Order: sequence, then C-alpha cells, then structure tokens
Amino acid sequence: MDHASPLTLIAFVCAAISAAILVSYLVFRPKLGPGTKIWLLLGVGVFPIGLAGAGNIQDFEATKKRAFCGDCHVMTLHTADSDDPNSTSLASRHARNKFFGSENCYVCHADYGMYGTVLTKMGGMRHFWLYYTQYRNTSLADAKHEIQIRKPFPNSNCMQCHSTQNPIWLAQRDHTAMLDDVRSGHVSCASAGCHGLAHPFWQTPEGGTL
Amino acid sequence: MKLPSHHRILSIACVFSLVAVGLMVWSLFDPRPVPVIVAMSLGQVIGTLSLLAFLFVVASDLRPLFRSTPDDRDSIKPKSP
Repeated sequence: MDHASPLTLIAFVCAAISAAILVSYLVFRPKLGPGTKIWLLLGVGVFPIGLAGAGNIQDFEATKKRAFCGDCHVMTLHTADSDDPNSTSLASRHARNKFFGSENCYVCHADYGMYGTVLTKMGGMRHFWLYYTQYRNTSLADAKHEIQIRKPFPNSNCMQCHSTQNPIWLAQRDHTAMLDDVRSGHVSCASAGCHGLAHPFWQTPEGGTL
Repeated sequence: MKLPSHHRILSIACVFSLVAVGLMVWSLFDPRPVPVIVAMSLGQVIGTLSLLAFLFVVASDLRPLFRSTPDDRDSIKPKSP
C-alpha cells in the first residue's frame, strides 16, 4: 500500500466498524429484538457494502499500476525496462512521461471506446487465468517464445494522444507519406522501421513482439 | 428438514461476514493479482451470502405480521429463538 487515499480510509473505517459489530454480536449474543437487527444490518449489510464499494474502486485502481502487472514473473523484464531511466525503448520513454507514469502498461494497452474498461478488465482476467494455469512455472527464457501479444497493438491506442492531426506531426514527411496506412493501422507506429518496438527485448526469433 | 435457530443462522452469517471483510481488506493491504481477484469475487460472494442469511431471518420474523389480520397484529410479536 503506497499511500492511504481517502477511499482506502473509508474502506478501513467501514471494515473496522463492521468487524466490531459482528464480533460484539458473536461474543455477547444479545436478545434478537428490533434494535439488535438494526445493529446487525449495519454490521452485515451497510458497512460491508461501503467497504466493498470503496474497496472495488481501490482495487480497480491497483490493477492499473505497473507493479500489479509485474507481479507475474513473466512480466518482470517489461516492468524492469519501464523502470530503467536509461532505457530508450518506446515503453520506457512513455513511462517517463507524467501522463503515463506508474500506469504506463494500462494507458497503452487499455482498450478504448464505450466498453473499453470492461473489455480491458476481461482481458486481464484472461491473463490471470492463463498465468495460473499455464505459465506460472515457465522460465523467462521460455516465456519469451511462448507468450505473445494476442492481437497486433492497434495504432488507435497511440492515436489517443498522437492524433495524427497536429501540424508538427504532419510536417514529418514519413508521417504524411503513410498517413492513411498509419490511421488505418496497416503500418504500426511501433514497427522496427518507424518508432521501434515497444518491448524490443521480447522479440522472438520469428520477429514477434509483446 | 429442520432449519437451524435464528441465532445460529445469524452467528454463521456474522462469521461469513467477518471472513468477507477480511478478504476485502487483504486486497487493500496487498494489492497483487490474487488478493484483488479473491476480494472482488470470493469476498463479495461470501459477504452477499451472509447478508442474504440475515435478510432471511428478518423476513422469517416479519412473516407472521403480514399473514395475520389487522385485528391480530397487535397480539403477534416477532418470534425470538
């Protein structure tokens, strides 16, 4: 826990009050009158729901952190690269940008659009499942060959920030020459001939990257 | 099948609720994949079950009040175990 946000404090207060009510009921076993039921409603219902609400938001925020992604050992090279101030990889350069910061994995890899967050979380659940069912004991050397990005990284994610409409961006001849291909995603921004691979250390002999 | 007494159901609900609270707090202290997934799935399922058990007891106690005629209501008190 890096720091206690207001939501975390709310969650802890709800948890403490709920636990106190529940323990007091189990210890003292009061007569089951209306007062006891209201008291128990607070302990079983109101405060746990408050804890769940505040906790869910905190947990969702935690899942955006680079440290969360790096908790699975097969991702440690990626997080180490992002943490490296001397790295010139696309991922690391973005991690040094304040807008991306400690959430750079999420900001780049999240799906956008109306259901983007839900789709991203579903993808995360898939990663969790695959890790604990297939890759938990896979060495990093093997993981480099076995784990690949599921679908090509979409340029539309880059275009959330780099709109391809800025005059400075359009002044680059390489950009204007391939404008339609870049916008349609036929040419990847992160290809070797353009801005380079986001995670070059993960390149496989076949040329795939993650 | 005879149902356990209301006190017993509520005691089990309290224990379940304590477990749920513990699981949810665990993810706040240790926001790694396993605690977070457990808190947001198992923790909330257990918490919901304990709340449903509590609501079942309350509904059971209130049922005689709604079944009786208006004249009887004054004489019926919620059943205590």
